[in-house]
Amino acid sequence: MSAKDPLHSGEPVSWNFKLLSQNNMSGFGGMGEGMAMQIAKDGRRIMWLAHESAPKNFTGVDVTDPRNPKVIVQTALPHADVRSNSLEMSGDILAVAYQTKKKGMQPAGFELFDCSVPENPKSISFFDCSGPTSRGVHQLWFCDGEYVHMAAGSPDFEASNPNDDQFYRCIDVRDPSKPREIGRWWLSGTRKGDNVAPPPRHSLDKGYRAHNCNVYPQRPDRMYLCYLDGGMYIMDIADKSQPKVISHWTNSPPYTGFTHTAVPLFDRGLILVTEESTEDNAKDWPKLIWMLDARDETHPVSFSTLPMPPVDAYKNRGGRFGSHNIHENVPVPTSFKSDQLVFGTFFNGGMRAFDISNAYQPKEVAAFVPPAPNGSKLGAIQLNDVYVDERQIVYTVDRFSGGLYILECDF
Amino acid sequence: MLSFWCSVIVMDQVFPSQASGPFGRRLRRERGPRVPVIVITGFLGAGKTTLLQRFLTTPEGAGTALVVNEFGEAGIDDALLRSSADETVLLGNGCLCCVSRTDLQETLRRMVIERERGEIPDFRRIVIETSGLADPSPILQTFATDRALGGVFHVEAVIAVVDAENGLDTLGWSSEARKQVILADRLIVTKTDIAAKAADALTAQLRKLNVAADIAIAVNGEIDPARLTEPASMARNLFVAEAEHSDGISSFVLNETKPIKWTTFSRAMETLITLRGSDLLRVKGFLDVEGCKGPVLVQFVQHLAPPPVELETWPDGNRASRVVFITRNMPEKQVRDLFEAVKALA
Repeated sequence: MSAKDPLHSGEPVSWNFKLLSQNNMSGFGGMGEGMAMQIAKDGRRIMWLAHESAPKNFTGVDVTDPRNPKVIVQTALPHADVRSNSLEMSGDILAVAYQTKKKGMQPAGFELFDCSVPENPKSISFFDCSGPTSRGVHQLWFCDGEYVHMAAGSPDFEASNPNDDQFYRCIDVRDPSKPREIGRWWLSGTRKGDNVAPPPRHSLDKGYRAHNCNVYPQRPDRMYLCYLDGGMYIMDIADKSQPKVISHWTNSPPYTGFTHTAVPLFDRGLILVTEESTEDNAKDWPKLIWMLDARDETHPVSFSTLPMPPVDAYKNRGGRFGSHNIHENVPVPTSFKSDQLVFGTFFNGGMRAFDISNAYQPKEVAAFVPPAPNGSKLGAIQLNDVYVDERQIVYTVDRFSGGLYILECDF
Repeated sequence: MLSFWCSVIVMDQVFPSQASGPFGRRLRRERGPRVPVIVITGFLGAGKTTLLQRFLTTPEGAGTALVVNEFGEAGIDDALLRSSADETVLLGNGCLCCVSRTDLQETLRRMVIERERGEIPDFRRIVIETSGLADPSPILQTFATDRALGGVFHVEAVIAVVDAENGLDTLGWSSEARKQVILADRLIVTKTDIAAKAADALTAQLRKLNVAADIAIAVNGEIDPARLTEPASMARNLFVAEAEHSDGISSFVLNETKPIKWTTFSRAMETLITLRGSDLLRVKGFLDVEGCKGPVLVQFVQHLAPPPVELETWPDGNRASRVVFITRNMPEKQVRDLFEAVKALA
């Protein structure tokens, strides 16, 4: 693979994806890492999107005709020091995470909305995580209508290092009007007062915090928890009040942490683990998607990574370059599910699809790197998240201004 | 010869997927992620170059790599290339043109390498313009195995261009022209503006030679670009082929309504290839293989066969095996009898 190869040159390219449409979200096209799809009662297909930062909270887009997406509702945050970077949907209920810039601010928690009339999301409840030691919720998982699994702070949790303030919390929302915490887990040593020493800091020190907390109906007693600089944990959550570690995998050091998302491919005994690049100009390179052999869940072993374009072609293109989110086989009817195709976003490396039918030799099969969108201050695309619906229509979002891109797989 | 087929495709044995079949990941379309290839045949003066020149300027033609296959023929009339001695010429519209004077496979390999090195622009499809006398079979064989180029490229359609002015006459005296028509997925009739009367007779003759192919009419050297790029649709046209052609060439369809064992099919084909491979001009079809969810696409060009692929769904809802044979001096009955015998013994 060469830096001049047009698929990996850093230049815009569309290979085996056909762009159907783009929508800049009414000029607020800086999107986060929350993408969820609802089939409304009247049959419309609504995509709910989180924003990267204020002023917007979330946006509902009618994508019934993927060639002509229409913004049908866009909500605002109360102030500029809060962001709602993550959301998920179960049935008609939307869960939205709120994280403040500084500890002690509000709103810090998550809010449930009834979106049965998509144009008019109605707040059902707010779960408050605010407190002098908490920034609230960064990431949440809500697919079964019963539990919100989230990376959150808490007023009663003071981190031993200020960078380690968000841990795993499980919230029972079976009565959505009265969410209540039923369990939590944090990495020993990250809470002030723990009887073990705090974990050693990595070179870039991104923090030991929870991130994605994925739970799937194939194994409702398991959670695949990523903990940034702490690596990935397979958790036993059969008793949600007492999550237990089954196993742990980390690549750092010598890598630099920020383990982000773990997606189990149950039938194949595999787990995909992504990292997030958080430094401009690829200063934290390499940030990869790792393939783990998880046939023995007590001993996950990494054995391959998905092929990446050459860093030299991208590092100076503007903004970040490296792995981030992948399509997570979200356990809802509107989500594409595959243990052989992986769709991932790589910031200025665009969105790429991989055939992993031979796990030892993953192959890139499609790439989409659009030009820098209008309003981009970086001069490059920053694709942040991806969702594939059950028809294999692909939705991907830009972190700063491009909004939503809808594509058809041409392979 | 096909014994590698009998073990079927070697998938990931350590991490098998229940969602995949014995032929690997089920594909939404036959091409998968491979680069589409369109093969254009047609006699000198049929109007191939005019059609292609216009196509390359359309939005649909953008990003096309045109490969002019001059092998075995000197001095092809190619207006696109006259001004340059280079092997690869950049055209407008993100297209490029490349002359293959020696070996097509070598040319295509070189193009892949040069694209990876950034020495030539990206291309999203290959169009191979053959020399007038070309027999399409060797070109199809080029793509028939992974070891050749089947892993990178996929032949989407074979198109024969025939001109209304001289086509009927040419088909009368040239066995090569007849073979081009017989093996095509799509036929394009040109010069109907100057030979309108002859067009009807030509169309009738084309239909006689190839009952399965679509026939499209070019007007003033132009045609809907989709007719040059869209994949040959087996669902639409392939399975009506039952014809006795000239030159000992015939086409017929083997149908089977019950699911068949892969070993039965592959062993029957192995026997056919061993005994009469060179007379299997083209074989293509869907199989309803026992244990497979979608149709398994099989193709053969004489002795060679690209790996079969399983599609996600049956394109026309008709779950039945249908394989078209275009053969030379090989009656339908012999092939049917062979399949029946293998089935009985299996």
